[in-house]
Amino acid sequence: MRIGSYELKLEKRGTLSNWQAASISILAIIFALALFSIIFILAGINPLSAYREIFSFAFINPYGLPPTINRFIFLLFCTYAFIIPFRAGLWNIGMTGQLYAGALGAFAVLFAFGGKASLSADLSLEIVIPFMLIAAALGGAVPGAIAGFLKGKYNINEIVVTMLLNFIIFWLVSFMIKEGGPFMNPGGRGESFELPPSVYAPLINNVPFTIFIALGLAVLIYFLFAKTKIGYQIRAYGQNPAAAEYAGISPFKIPLLVFTLGGAIAGLAGYHYFAAVPGVYKIARNYGFFGDLAFYGIICGLISLGNPIAAIPVALLFGGLSVGGRYVQGKLSMSFGLDYALLGVLMITLVVFQFFYRYKIVFIKIGKERTDVGVLR
Amino acid sequence: MKPPEEGQVQKGPLKGIKRGETVLEARGITKRFPGVVANDQIYFEIKAGEIHAVLGENGAGKTTLMNILFGLYQPDEGEIFIGGKSVKFRSPLDAIDMGIGMVHQHRKLIPAHTVIENIILGHPSAGKILNINRAGDEINELCERYGFHVDLKAKVWQLSEGEKQVVEILKTLYRGAEVLILDEPTSALTPIETEKLLTSIEAMSKDELAIVPFITHKLPIVLAISDRVTVLRRGKVTARLDTKDATEKSLAMEMVGREVIFRIERTRVERGKPILQVENLSALSDKGVLALSGVSFSISEGEIFGIAGISGNGQRELVEVIAGLRNPEEGKVILDEIDITFSSSLERWQRGMGYIPCDRIDVGSIGDFSLVENTTMNYYFDDNYSRYGIVDYKKLRKLTEEIVSEYGVATPSPDTQAKTLSGGNLQKLILARVLSRKPRLVIADLPTQGLDVGATEFVRNKLVEAKKGKAGVLLISEDLDEILSLSDWVAPVYEGKLMDIIPGEKVKREIVGAMMAGLHLEGEET
Repeated sequence: MRIGSYELKLEKRGTLSNWQAASISILAIIFALALFSIIFILAGINPLSAYREIFSFAFINPYGLPPTINRFIFLLFCTYAFIIPFRAGLWNIGMTGQLYAGALGAFAVLFAFGGKASLSADLSLEIVIPFMLIAAALGGAVPGAIAGFLKGKYNINEIVVTMLLNFIIFWLVSFMIKEGGPFMNPGGRGESFELPPSVYAPLINNVPFTIFIALGLAVLIYFLFAKTKIGYQIRAYGQNPAAAEYAGISPFKIPLLVFTLGGAIAGLAGYHYFAAVPGVYKIARNYGFFGDLAFYGIICGLISLGNPIAAIPVALLFGGLSVGGRYVQGKLSMSFGLDYALLGVLMITLVVFQFFYRYKIVFIKIGKERTDVGVLR
Repeated sequence: MKPPEEGQVQKGPLKGIKRGETVLEARGITKRFPGVVANDQIYFEIKAGEIHAVLGENGAGKTTLMNILFGLYQPDEGEIFIGGKSVKFRSPLDAIDMGIGMVHQHRKLIPAHTVIENIILGHPSAGKILNINRAGDEINELCERYGFHVDLKAKVWQLSEGEKQVVEILKTLYRGAEVLILDEPTSALTPIETEKLLTSIEAMSKDELAIVPFITHKLPIVLAISDRVTVLRRGKVTARLDTKDATEKSLAMEMVGREVIFRIERTRVERGKPILQVENLSALSDKGVLALSGVSFSISEGEIFGIAGISGNGQRELVEVIAGLRNPEEGKVILDEIDITFSSSLERWQRGMGYIPCDRIDVGSIGDFSLVENTTMNYYFDDNYSRYGIVDYKKLRKLTEEIVSEYGVATPSPDTQAKTLSGGNLQKLILARVLSRKPRLVIADLPTQGLDVGATEFVRNKLVEAKKGKAGVLLISEDLDEILSLSDWVAPVYEGKLMDIIPGEKVKREIVGAMMAGLHLEGEET
């Protein structure tokens, strides 16, 4: 393409530094917000003030910030549940089911300790919470392992299996918490029994302790892939399964391992939202909403290119926008679904901009040496 | 060439060019890729009725040049002239319209379709009303003229590699190509098929077609059929000469830039204990057909055991069974007196197996991994290079630097991605990685396939070195010269069976060649 005496040309990139990837993502976010302004303008709203509302509610407002952080933690778990299989070249679409299973695991521990009987049950926090965490991880690991086993042993498509398990576990949760189910709330209402206050998750500045687990996982997963033998095997299998098999890496064990790990982490997301977020403390009637939110883990994982550290700001952004978008929709009396539309536009733009991870635009002055000045270098 | 009357796109820039006149000329072609100049001021010219071989090592820039001539790439500098007129190709379609055709090394045919359907696919007249009978007549006429034999109604999957090659050539000719670019035309063919193809190529050149085969090895073929040769080295033209003035040695020298030894003298090493014993091995192919039946042999320390055969006669299954990537139906594999028939491939690596796979890109390496990480493929399980489950990448980086310099892998740094290496360099890296483990048993599956003269010589020398180091080597090759000059034992393979096992010094070329084609020569035993 020609502009004046310059020629615009697409060129393949050799390598991409983390810094370049980050700046491309930031450009994408700016572009997406600019694009979405059209919606505000059509509704007769000044986009700048709308964005100010969204961001200030999500990241500054004392009522907006806590939900942002809780969703951020939740999304981060879901992202890691996606990333670990993703690095092995496999797609975990089953965070939803895995997190439900994790929540069921955590509530099963409460059930066993007699937590259902009475809200005033005096349970020992130091004993019950570790058990709940382990049970949540195990609960999530089971559906993960099923998908991993089927993939490794019979090469059954992991996307289909994890997706279908979502439906099964969705209804399993309903069976457990609704009328007649073992975890039913004594008052009915289509939700589970509530956590006795004695085992509410410890809060630090009103933030559940699970944030440390999530951030710890970031470091651990980074270390796993950068340094360890298992991480190497997972990456090798992900890049080239045939070469991995040649090198003696088991094409059965890797899928089983990554899905079990991924499922376990998704299970922790279930514990986090239904047993650690202040004000929830039960498997709520609208648990399906959080199942849907879990899918953003896929997007965060893809945008961060499987890098667990890069996933942190991405998950924070998506958590915040989902909270701020919903708020602004009510405040400016816009039509329903604004938050999801905003997330959708952002998601598509970020994915489209990944084109620039592989290509760059260069300007060449016609008839002269290359000047190499470009917007997207 | 006289084009068939109907349905031909004959834009005609090449019409009226007589034998010996220049058809296509490329002046000052330069093409840069990030980090390399693939073509540097290349001058290339071809005349009507000429077979003009382009020679060069892997990475010398042949493919880039041909892709530019065929319109797949646009040159950064330089011009292309056809029939004296400057042309610009934006895509291969432009080149095809100008009468240039290219037959790629990797077949681009649809296996489930018939030969004729493949030939007319994409032909301008095939879009309207299909007159398959007339097309058939025209193609038959082409076949007759150039001595091709192929059943037009056969499905492509039923054809041999040689026949597929013919289909590709027919397809290009039928599109009206007058300059024919052939990428490694003989690399997958049996000796007999090669012979036939060369005859046809000569017949075509008599019809004032200009033909450009480009070939990395098999210099004898170049000498036998071509009229002129252009040699490339590191992106530059190093020689352009008439074939009659060239010898195998002089061409190799131009390509590599130094003297090349063609024959490696078989060195005798004292035989030691048996390393690998294979007993009555049978295995199924991926399609579930018996691809290997009743194979038995043994390899001792200091021996090279050469299996000679055209690919697809069970070599792949044999290698995979020995490497632990495929379960046998029957039989035993014994490594150093331990039965490993059902051991995992990891265990075999740890017991001293070293496997150099034939598919360098899809099996032997991981393109997006750095060279260090590629070296790690054969070291991650080694306790000297990992501790408590943590890989010692520092140590591996040092090891990679050492083997890269020892094996002369041309790369800017050990952190470069493996996919940026040329075929020869990649093979050197794989070889270095495997042999640096000092394996007891080396499985070398087509180790020099597609490599240029210099790299081939290097790889062969390394295998001989491994043998001198008391390893046993299982060599799989299609190249008779390679088998004959390296092996202490030669076993021709045909349809999953070893035809014979002959001691290296008693081997006769013709007998092995015949056995590779499934023939037992009568009375030769005496």
